[in-house]
Amino acid sequence: MIIHEEICVGCGRCQPYCPTAAIRYDGLKSVIDQDICYECSTCLRAAHCPVDAIAESPNVYEYPRALRRYFSDPSATHAATGIQGRGTEESKTNDVTLRVGPGEVGVAIEIGRPTLGMSIADIEKITRAIARAGVHKIEPHNPIHSMIANEETGDLKKEMLGERVLSAIIEINVKRDELRGILRTLREVAKEVDSVFCIDACTIVDPDLHIPEEVLESIKAEGFTWRPNAKVNMGLGRAWE
Amino acid sequence: MTHSLHREGSLESLEKEYVLFIYPARGFNYKGSAPKVRHLVELLYQAGPVNMIPTSLRRNMYSGVTNEEILDSITVEGTRVYSVFNEREKLKKALTLIKAADEGISIMVSGITDRVRDIAAELGITPHMVNLSLGIHGNTDRLPPADIREFTTMCGHGVVSPHLVKDMIRRVKTRKIGEWDGSVLLAEPCTCGIYNPCRSAELIREKAPLYAVDRW
Repeated sequence: MIIHEEICVGCGRCQPYCPTAAIRYDGLKSVIDQDICYECSTCLRAAHCPVDAIAESPNVYEYPRALRRYFSDPSATHAATGIQGRGTEESKTNDVTLRVGPGEVGVAIEIGRPTLGMSIADIEKITRAIARAGVHKIEPHNPIHSMIANEETGDLKKEMLGERVLSAIIEINVKRDELRGILRTLREVAKEVDSVFCIDACTIVDPDLHIPEEVLESIKAEGFTWRPNAKVNMGLGRAWE
Repeated sequence: MTHSLHREGSLESLEKEYVLFIYPARGFNYKGSAPKVRHLVELLYQAGPVNMIPTSLRRNMYSGVTNEEILDSITVEGTRVYSVFNEREKLKKALTLIKAADEGISIMVSGITDRVRDIAAELGITPHMVNLSLGIHGNTDRLPPADIREFTTMCGHGVVSPHLVKDMIRRVKTRKIGEWDGSVLLAEPCTCGIYNPCRSAELIREKAPLYAVDRW
């Protein structure tokens, strides 16, 4: 995003809207730090500049900077997936797709959330760690998959490493008895990144929304806890195509 | 969107909040889903969500858009709907209507797991899957304070800025804006429509005494 200097009246109204504090005063005008800007367009969409000084960067759709837009603007349709959003339907439609099957756990690593975002160089640290742990299949419908140069090593495409994104989601499936290993890996790689990620674990439940003990035991054994709130697929979907 | 399971706050506060998603599955029930999703949204209105957005419009309930405009936008196959309720009974009513309609579209609910379990049992619904939050990891020292995250984690994509939350608290404290109007402004950047302005207004009331009136 950019602010046209000749139009800006320096009211500062847009500044708090930026999730990453990329908008600052330079003299009497607001300017956007292009290194920090995620191209999420929140300032353009929500700050209601009184003089319409905010505009899209001329290079916003030039690769690889375009990754910032695709991963950071929730209303942008991702070029790699053709849908809006950073992830896939994951657990949300699992009652229909059975993508995470019985005996499996879907693990999602929500990169940069909440709010901080992450450099793609840091994302590569996570994809490499996952690959070293023996998981070489990142969900193919997830936009992260299109960034991978080498599935065996988890290396991402080199030209992307200078970019950063507000959020991205790495989705993998593991067998229930493999959950401990991947959680251990994530706990270790968490020490190497300069930002944050959230971890999700989704699993098919037993009757009465009873969470399988094997899954809970694995989580506890690796020193993790789970929040009292969760996302529940209510099991009301069905396929007809 | 996945982030709704990571909402932060006290149990008492989170118990007043349920996020409900309507989600057709690509390649499984996309075709012919639009009229079904529209019908489900009509049912949601009867239950009284406090915020809602269909992906076909991306404007929340407080943006000046009418209910008819929201409904009329749902003509695209695969349109998803994100909504939030601030009372257990409202969610229960929504699920009762959705179950009876039996449209076959996937429904997700984010909330306190024990409460969702109770509601499902009362309605004879058999949940299929749970998505657990195992928390935030990495350089957590960089995060904004926990009480600010209670606001910002209501937006899954992280586009409700912590600086805007602090600015809004300052504006409320200096009586430039009310708690509700400030919360509606906080909801605007969230293009998924699951920022809960009712809970936000309560949080501003609760947090405002803790903050000094300086610039964000």
